[in-house]
Amino acid sequence: MKQTRNVLADGTSIEDLVKVDTREVQMRALSDHEIYNLEMDRVFGHSWLLLGHETEIPNENDFVVRDMGSDSVIVARGKNGQIHVSLNVCPHRGMKVSTLDAGNTPIHKCIYHGWAFRPNGDFLASPVEKECMHGKMMSKVELGLEQARVTLYGGIIFATWDHEGPSFEEFLGDAKWYFDILFQRSDKGLEVLGPPQRFIVRANWKTAGEQSAADGFHTLTLHRWLGEVGNYAKSGEEGGADLSPEMYGVEVSSSNGHALRCIDLGRKIRKLTGLDPDELSVDQKLEALPPPGVTREMLPQLKRNLSKDQLKVLVSMPPQVGGIFPNVLFAFVYIPQADGSVLGLTLLHAYVPKGPDQLEFVNWILAEKDTPPELKEKMLRQSIQLFGTSGMVEQDDSDTWPHMTVAARGARGRKSTLKYQAVYETSKPAGWPGPGIVNEGFTKDDTQWHWWLHWHELMLAKV
Amino acid sequence: MTATQHLSSADVQQGEVVAIGSDTYNQVLGFLYREASLLDAISLKEWSALLATDLVYTVPLRQTRPMAQQAASIIRTVQHYHDDYRSIMGRVMRLTGTKSAWAEDPPSRTRRLVTNVQVSTTGVEGELAVVSYLLLTRSRFDSPDLDLISGERRDVLRYVAGELKLARREVILDQAVLGTPNLAIFL
Repeated sequence: MKQTRNVLADGTSIEDLVKVDTREVQMRALSDHEIYNLEMDRVFGHSWLLLGHETEIPNENDFVVRDMGSDSVIVARGKNGQIHVSLNVCPHRGMKVSTLDAGNTPIHKCIYHGWAFRPNGDFLASPVEKECMHGKMMSKVELGLEQARVTLYGGIIFATWDHEGPSFEEFLGDAKWYFDILFQRSDKGLEVLGPPQRFIVRANWKTAGEQSAADGFHTLTLHRWLGEVGNYAKSGEEGGADLSPEMYGVEVSSSNGHALRCIDLGRKIRKLTGLDPDELSVDQKLEALPPPGVTREMLPQLKRNLSKDQLKVLVSMPPQVGGIFPNVLFAFVYIPQADGSVLGLTLLHAYVPKGPDQLEFVNWILAEKDTPPELKEKMLRQSIQLFGTSGMVEQDDSDTWPHMTVAARGARGRKSTLKYQAVYETSKPAGWPGPGIVNEGFTKDDTQWHWWLHWHELMLAKV
Repeated sequence: MTATQHLSSADVQQGEVVAIGSDTYNQVLGFLYREASLLDAISLKEWSALLATDLVYTVPLRQTRPMAQQAASIIRTVQHYHDDYRSIMGRVMRLTGTKSAWAEDPPSRTRRLVTNVQVSTTGVEGELAVVSYLLLTRSRFDSPDLDLISGERRDVLRYVAGELKLARREVILDQAVLGTPNLAIFL
């Protein structure tokens, strides 16, 4: 029975979409309707999905409308401050219950026939209560909005439809140790600096998803301009500076498809201090270059919340970009400034699938709650200028993914393969304290390959 | 209360209406047409000469909100653009001075259709508040579909040594979710 479910209409087996021996993925995975429809159940139905941050809905009855895979959901704060995620589909006749992006209301009332729901999804009433418009066959309890399972992690709202599946901690697996360095390091946590930017890219969600799994190589070519002008550029070099020194570091992946690029801060610290970073203590390095959104005054918080080993990674080889499976990119990046200083930025993206050849790019810009207002303002402006809609870095990415998606529709193109054959031959650096699949050196394809292996595993319904 | 006051951006005070067809109105129209043709011709360095050095250039987000909350439909915290003269010049430098600004290389073919122009004086001598409609069509590669970007520009133009310069631009877009993959172009 399971066998037939894993064969596509033209007889191709899902097993064969990924060639494990040669690390190849058939490109039809980026365009095929049947694969897309399966993904909505097998990948998006079984993963924890990013929906936003709790600071977007700080007050009781605040809500935002977001997407879990191909379904609209209402993310609302109910009584006692608890956050609920409800399928945005009226159980009566299937109308979208909330047609808004955000707001505050104690009652979500469907405009079609007037069925009304609490922020926690409970069915409140239908109009003309005494006439019992909702009938007597089902109880009010049964007529509530379908509830997703919700968790907050560093204030970030994640939800899943898989009520029996792994806990969020299990879902993060080995990667949690690293994500805690980013999301759990301050006393009060992160906050959004406003609602997310949203725009449509005519590309399959996986073009963005697999790149988020720590694709280092693309920086060298697609983002080459960074070496040609601005603060990464070195004067006097014909055709722009070599970005390859930025490609060295440690890459971490987990069997759950999460990935992190830990990039060496040594050169930045040397430039800022004029000292050999290997000679500096953890404290000295933190003082020289505090992480994004963190001021020197906030450093004691990091020491309270992180272990010695986590601090060691944070000051030397911090996770700067990477992905949370299936469709999230995180960035905690250190951007060189014209005056020689460094400005840290914090961003989260969700790449929401909108059909096999379309995704919605949702970009949240964040800072620590305790980040001083002037620094937040700087982070906000530079985030807008470099990332998201008009961002000078990411505008090149969003112009690339559509071409791959179109190519994956071709009769030959769909049989071509994506290749992940640059394989690490190193392993973790001596004394590396963190878990996971860890390799050091120049960037390779391993983390993206592990992303695809997890996608494959879910698509085969093995988990 | 002037006819155009309800259209103004929050931080621009508007005074007297500048009559359609007057010399000043025609100068503003000439500026907007010239600006549009420079941007469409990708003459970005010439375009940047039209900018005042204290330029503020912003494009708020939009949200779908009920009729009673339309003010909340314009988001000025996170925005699509939040730039000043220096950062706009940085963007121009990337587009004109590098070999790898792929988002616009090959460049989009664009038309900036600027209409419904309303001009008024401001509280500041030599400055004009200009509200106009923008319909920007964008064609990329071999796609027969045009990306449409529609909105309302809320500008402040200033006479500097007898020439009009753009001192403030806020573009109120109509889409809550943009239908173009990036804003690698100026609005």
